Amino acid sequence: MNIARYTKQFLVAMVLIFIVAIGVVSTYGLNLGIDFTGGSLTEVSYTVAPEQAMLEEELDSLFEEGYSLRQSEDGETVGYILRSRDLSEEERETVYGVLTSVGEGGVVTRFASIGPVIGEELKDKASWAIAGVVLITICYVAFAFRKVPKPVGSWTYGGITILALIHDVLVPTAVMSVLGITFGAEVDVLFVTALLAVLGYSVNDTIVVFDRVRENLLLNEEKKTGKTFETVVEDSVKDTIVRSVNTSLTTILALGALYFLGGDTTQLFALTLIVGVLAGTYSSLFIANPLLVAASRRKKA
Amino acid sequence: MEDTAVQKKETTPLMRGIQAILVLLIGGLLGYFVYSTTVNTESNYPFKLGLDLAGGSHLVYEADVAGVDSEEVPELMNVLKDVIERRVNIFGVSEPIVQVETSSVVSGADSHRLVVELPGVTDVKDAVAEIGRTPLLEFKLVEVTEEEALFIDTGLTGRYLERAVLQFGQGNQGGLSNEPVVSITFTAEGADLFETITASHIGEPLAIFLDGEVMSSPIINEAISGGSAVISGNFTPTEARDLVQNLNFGALPLPIALVSTQTIDASLGANLLSEGVTAGVIGVALVLAFMLLWYRLPGLIAGVALLSYGALMLALFKVVPVTLTAAGLAGFILSIGMAVDANVLVFERIKEEFRSGKDSREAARSGFSRAWSAIRDGNMTSLLSAIILFWFGTSLVKGFALVFGFGVIASMLTALVVTRTLLIILPSTRKEEGFFARLLDSGTHM
Repeated sequence: MNIARYTKQFLVAMVLIFIVAIGVVSTYGLNLGIDFTGGSLTEVSYTVAPEQAMLEEELDSLFEEGYSLRQSEDGETVGYILRSRDLSEEERETVYGVLTSVGEGGVVTRFASIGPVIGEELKDKASWAIAGVVLITICYVAFAFRKVPKPVGSWTYGGITILALIHDVLVPTAVMSVLGITFGAEVDVLFVTALLAVLGYSVNDTIVVFDRVRENLLLNEEKKTGKTFETVVEDSVKDTIVRSVNTSLTTILALGALYFLGGDTTQLFALTLIVGVLAGTYSSLFIANPLLVAASRRKKA
Repeated sequence: MEDTAVQKKETTPLMRGIQAILVLLIGGLLGYFVYSTTVNTESNYPFKLGLDLAGGSHLVYEADVAGVDSEEVPELMNVLKDVIERRVNIFGVSEPIVQVETSSVVSGADSHRLVVELPGVTDVKDAVAEIGRTPLLEFKLVEVTEEEALFIDTGLTGRYLERAVLQFGQGNQGGLSNEPVVSITFTAEGADLFETITASHIGEPLAIFLDGEVMSSPIINEAISGGSAVISGNFTPTEARDLVQNLNFGALPLPIALVSTQTIDASLGANLLSEGVTAGVIGVALVLAFMLLWYRLPGLIAGVALLSYGALMLALFKVVPVTLTAAGLAGFILSIGMAVDANVLVFERIKEEFRSGKDSREAARSGFSRAWSAIRDGNMTSLLSAIILFWFGTSLVKGFALVFGFGVIASMLTALVVTRTLLIILPSTRKEEGFFARLLDSGTHM
C-alpha cells in the first residue's frame, strides 16, 4: 500500500481509466430506454404463447417505422415484450387487440407509453440533480476541511472528492455502455437513480479517508512527530482500508442479494450499484490519496 | 480500575443496564408495531405501495397553456385538478391521486402537467375516456309528482353560456342583503331560449346539472330577458365560488393531451414485491453473518443495531407514510448494506484503541468520539445529496431520495444510540485477558 512511492503509477492508472471509460461512452453511447427517448413498451403473457413469426406478421402492418419484439420468460409464464414508438390511446387499443388475438390466454401485464417531451425533460432533470450534488459536495468538503493543516488547502480536498466522484460515475456508465451493445441493456430512470446513489456512497467513502488524513495531520502537528505529509497520507490509508473494504463488502452483500433475487426490474440497478461501489472503494483509496500526495508535491515545487 | 478520571465519568452499572433495556425495548416495540400492523390487514398503518408494486395505471396529461395569461395558470391548473378529481372519483378507485406537476424551473420549458394515478385500474380505456370527456352543463325543469321529482330537458346547455360571475347581493335588491349570488350571461341564442323557458315556468325550480349531477336548483322568479340571470340559493361564499367555477370551467379550463400512459398488472407488481422482500431478507442475513464473523461480539451488537434500523425504517415507511416503489425498495436494500458503515467505523476505531492497551469500555468510549467526525461529515454529504435529489427529482427519484435520506439519519441514530448503549454494558476487559477479550478483538491485524 505504498501510495507515496507509486503515486505516479496510480495517477497513470487513473488517467487510463478515464480515457478508456470516456472513450467507451463516447464511442458506443448509451442505449437509452423509452424513459428518455419516448416510445412504448407492451408486455404480454400467455398460457399458450403464439409463434413469434405469427405476431410479427400482424404487427408489420401496424408499424411502418419498425418495432422490436422479444420473448420474455418469467418463471412459468411465457410472453413477449414489444417496443415501438409512443402510442395514442386508440393505437394502444389496437395493439392490445392484436397481441391478445393470437395464442391463448393473452393478457397485457405491463404497458408504458412515454411522450418524447417527458423523456427530454427527464434528461434535463437528471443532469441538474447530478450537477447540484457535485456543487453542494465540493462546498461542504471545502467547509468541513477549512481548518486542515497545510500543505494542501481545503478546496483541493473538495476538488479531489469531485474527481473521485466523477470516476465512480464514469465507470458504471462505461460498463452500462458495453452491456448496451453486447446485451442490449437499456438505460432507464432506475439507472440514473443508481448513479445518484453511487454519488452519495462515493463521497461518503472519500470523506472517511480524508477525515483520517485530517486527524493524523493535526496529531502530527500537536505531537511534533515531524512526519512528512506523504507518510501521514499513507498511515491514514492503512488506518481506514479495513473499514473501506468491510463497508463495501456489506453493501455488495446486500446488493448481491438484490441482483440475484430481486427480479428483472432492479437487476441492472443492482449491477450498476455494485460496479459503482467497487469503483468508489478503489477511488477513495487509490485515486483520492495519490492525488493528495501529488497536490502536496506540486505545492512544494 | 486504576484510572480514576475515567471512573468518575462512568455511569453506574444500574443506569447502563436500564438504558440498555430501554433501547432494546424500543427496538422491540418498533419491530412489534411493524409486524402487527402488517399482519393485521385492517390496520391504520399499512405499507403504502406504489403503482409498480400494487398494480394500476399512471397517466400524465399535458395542459395547453398557450393563450392564457401566465399568472392565471396556477389557478387554472387547480381548477383542472378539481374537475379531473371529480371525474376520477366516479370510478370508485381506492385512493386515486391527481397531482399538478409543473416542469422544473431549471429546464426552461414551461409545461404544466396533471398526473393521475389509479391504483388497481389496469384497463385504462374507460378512465381515459372519462377524464378526456367534455362535461355537460344542463338546465332542466323540475316537475314534482307525488312520488318523485322528474327532470325535463329544456335544450338549454352550457353551449349557450357566455360566462358566470360571483357577486354579492346589494341591500336594495329586495332582500338579497349581502348574500353571495351567481350572475350568469348567455349568448344571444341562449338568451332567447332562456327567456322562453323562464316566461312559461315562473315559480318553478330550474335545476342546473353538471356532469349529470344537480349543482343547484334555483326558483324562477320572473321571465328573464336580456340574457342574464342571477342564481340565488342560500349559497355560502364558497359554494357560490365553486358554482361559478363549475359554470365557467364546466368544460375543462385548459385543453389537455395524454402524453404518457403506464399500466402494471397487479400480479406482476406482486411478483416484484415478493422478490424484493426476499432479496431484502437474504441481504440482511448476509450482512448480519458477515458482521458476526468479522467483529464477533461487537458484530452481534451491530446486528441488533441493524435490526433496530430495519424496524425503525419500516415503521417510518408506515407512519409518514412513504410510498414504496421498486426503486424505493432497492434503495432500502442498499441502505441496509450502508447502515452498518457507522458501526464498522466505530469498531475499527475501538479495535485500535483496545490493541493500544486501553480496557474495552474505555476503548469503546474513545472509539465513538474519535469516529464521530468521519460519521458526521460522511453522513452530512449523503443527506445533502438526498435533499437535492428530492428537490430536482421526478416522482420516482423522489421516492428513492426519501428512503435514502431517512436511511442516513436512521442508520446514524441506531449506530450511535443502540450500538453504544449495548457496547458499554459489556464487562470491561483488557487485551491480554483470555477468551472474553478474544470475543471483542476482531479481524486481521493490518
